[in-house]
Amino acid sequence: MKNFILLNVVIYSIVIFSQSKLPKNHSLSNKLNCKTCHVCEVPTKKDPCLVACPRNQMVTVYQSADKTVNIVTLGELSKKYDPVVFFHRAHAQMSEMSGGCVTCHHYNTSGPIQPCKNCHQEERKREDISKPDLEAAYHRQCINCHREWSHENSCISCHELKKAGKVSQKIDVKKIKSKDHPKLKAPEKVVYETLSRKGKFVTFYHDEHINLFGIKCINCHQQENCSKCHDKGKPTLTQQLYNLPVKIHKSADQHHKPCFSCHSEDRCGVCHSNKPEGPFNHAERTGWALNRFHEKLSCSKCHGNSDKFAKLDNKCESCHKNFAAGKFDHSLTGLKLDENHKDLDCIECHKEKNFSNSPACDNCHEDKSFPKNKPGKEITISLKKKK
Amino acid sequence: MEKQSRREFFKTTAIVGSAIAGLSSNSTKAAPKNILSEDRMGVLVDTTACIGCRSCEWACKTAHGIETQSLEKYSDRTVFKNMRRPDVNALTVVNEYANHQNAQLPTDVKIQCMHCDHPACVSACIVGAFSKQENGSVIWDTKKCIGCRYCMVACPFQVPSFEYNKAINPEIKKCDFCFERTKVGKLPACVEICPVEALTYGPRNDLIKIARERIKRNPDKYFDYIYGEYEVGGTSWMYIGNQDLRNVAFPKLGDKPAPGVSEAIQHGIFAYFVPPVSLYALLGGIMWITKNRKNSEEE
Ligand code: SF4
Ligand code: SF4
Ligand code: SF4
Repeated sequence: MKNFILLNVVIYSIVIFSQSKLPKNHSLSNKLNCKTCHVCEVPTKKDPCLVACPRNQMVTVYQSADKTVNIVTLGELSKKYDPVVFFHRAHAQMSEMSGGCVTCHHYNTSGPIQPCKNCHQEERKREDISKPDLEAAYHRQCINCHREWSHENSCISCHELKKAGKVSQKIDVKKIKSKDHPKLKAPEKVVYETLSRKGKFVTFYHDEHINLFGIKCINCHQQENCSKCHDKGKPTLTQQLYNLPVKIHKSADQHHKPCFSCHSEDRCGVCHSNKPEGPFNHAERTGWALNRFHEKLSCSKCHGNSDKFAKLDNKCESCHKNFAAGKFDHSLTGLKLDENHKDLDCIECHKEKNFSNSPACDNCHEDKSFPKNKPGKEITISLKKKK
Repeated sequence: MEKQSRREFFKTTAIVGSAIAGLSSNSTKAAPKNILSEDRMGVLVDTTACIGCRSCEWACKTAHGIETQSLEKYSDRTVFKNMRRPDVNALTVVNEYANHQNAQLPTDVKIQCMHCDHPACVSACIVGAFSKQENGSVIWDTKKCIGCRYCMVACPFQVPSFEYNKAINPEIKKCDFCFERTKVGKLPACVEICPVEALTYGPRNDLIKIARERIKRNPDKYFDYIYGEYEVGGTSWMYIGNQDLRNVAFPKLGDKPAPGVSEAIQHGIFAYFVPPVSLYALLGGIMWITKNRKNSEEE
């Protein structure tokens, strides 16, 4: 028994000791579950019993692309070829729309960015073959994307062949001109021709979605492929042989996915039509014409967050909580109420509080009617744009 | 060249013959079970990683003294216009198939001998020139071969090829899993050169676990099937990919160790009531004599 207690003390002190020695950035406190990485109950420094690379479950590389390192040279391995000059920032700037930093930095606990070789061994002949070696890790990151649009995979498309018998030149990063990815030009509108029986055309106003509705690129573009812009349209050999379309085929589900995050409850006809459609028109689309006041507002002013616009009813008080006697300054409408009318309840003139219909006088006056008779004095108002 | 004595030859023939006779009575075991070592090696080919660079073809030729052009020339992709088979000048070839999910990213599949766990070539070879080694390799012994080419007929993957264009001492050629290299602790040449390690060399049992793990972690990327895990009783080379490779690069085969066509040969023989042993002995004898005559002509 005594021995057992002693043993326990030793074990626990080892555990505590090893935990106190954890690297500073080890996410002990965070939402992370220990079991994400450690398989055993009491991981120690000596035997951390780590599971094989849990990938995306614990990645915390989120840096703004413009702040990242510009150029990286990759040359640890080349025997035959010169190191590769990799324009990191230019790639990072586009990565947001195709999975983000984690596409390449797929396994990075909180803290400093881990170099690939921390996990990927340099030797091809090795014990742990569950993950690729370093050379393969680099190549897999690069080649599969690049060959999608260049349709090429020769070594020299990235590496310079070493001059025979010479040590490779030392590459001075400072001398290389930095490179940024050119700003993307968003199309104004795209007209899709579909096979749908609900209407062949879908007219998508791209600029409206960004500028009017305030939707961010990443809301729709999450898994974009570089080849979308970079492929010069030259078909691959198999495309020629098997007569495959140049465009990547997407299923109806995949096509609808980005739209459905907002339009899931809309009828087909909201997007599909038998002819290309004009830009967004509030009256046509919703049956509610915007008046000169509403026209000036941004969508989110009434509909809330742009991720999901809230559907509104057509009762003015739903938004205008101040449309009540004593609270509302009627002169804002261009009509200053006279002493007799000033303190009346809105409903006396505006039946059912429907302010879009003309006011009625017959509640009190049998011989009067709007707009021939007015309950006050017309004034000129200046419309200030309110945001 | 050391030769098999006439006596030894008939001895082997008789043994193999009776083994085959035994086979036809239901239990079709191509290779004796005891040679199948628990930690035999294998290769997991991940066709989603393969970029079709054909460096493996170059490395294989270079390692086996087959003449070839420079590695840089191998990036020529027009070879993919035709489907190729391994032959005497190329023990492994890479073919390219359409990928209907993403036409920009075709599926490339390297093929070579699968190094079956119960190799039909071994069971078909009447002189025991083929053998399954402890490390998983199925290799061929030029000293024993009589050139009967039964192995070619028997192999369910149509791998062994014969040097038809060689009049003198034609040999059977096929991938030998780089037996001479692995013997001294080196990796197979193709595995060593592959720039993306689409070919992972390791104990077969581990490779199956790794393959399963990859598929589990990435169910959208992989078609859930390991080709070679069970085919013809299991093969040392196994494949995973983004589509069912049985529709493109490989035949659909059962999981029974199938001597394949060699069984058909036997059945054909039985139809005429010819005991197989004697027929094999006769055929083999003729081949052996011819070979010997050729050899003595040479000498
Ligand atoms: S693939 Fe063919 S040649 Fe290779 S081991 Fe199997 S049966 Fe023999
Ligand atoms: S294992 Fe060796 S013989 Fe077989 S394909 Fe690879 S390089 Fe060629
Ligand atoms: S070397 Fe590797 S990537 Fe290149 S074709 Fe062969 S298996 Fe595929």
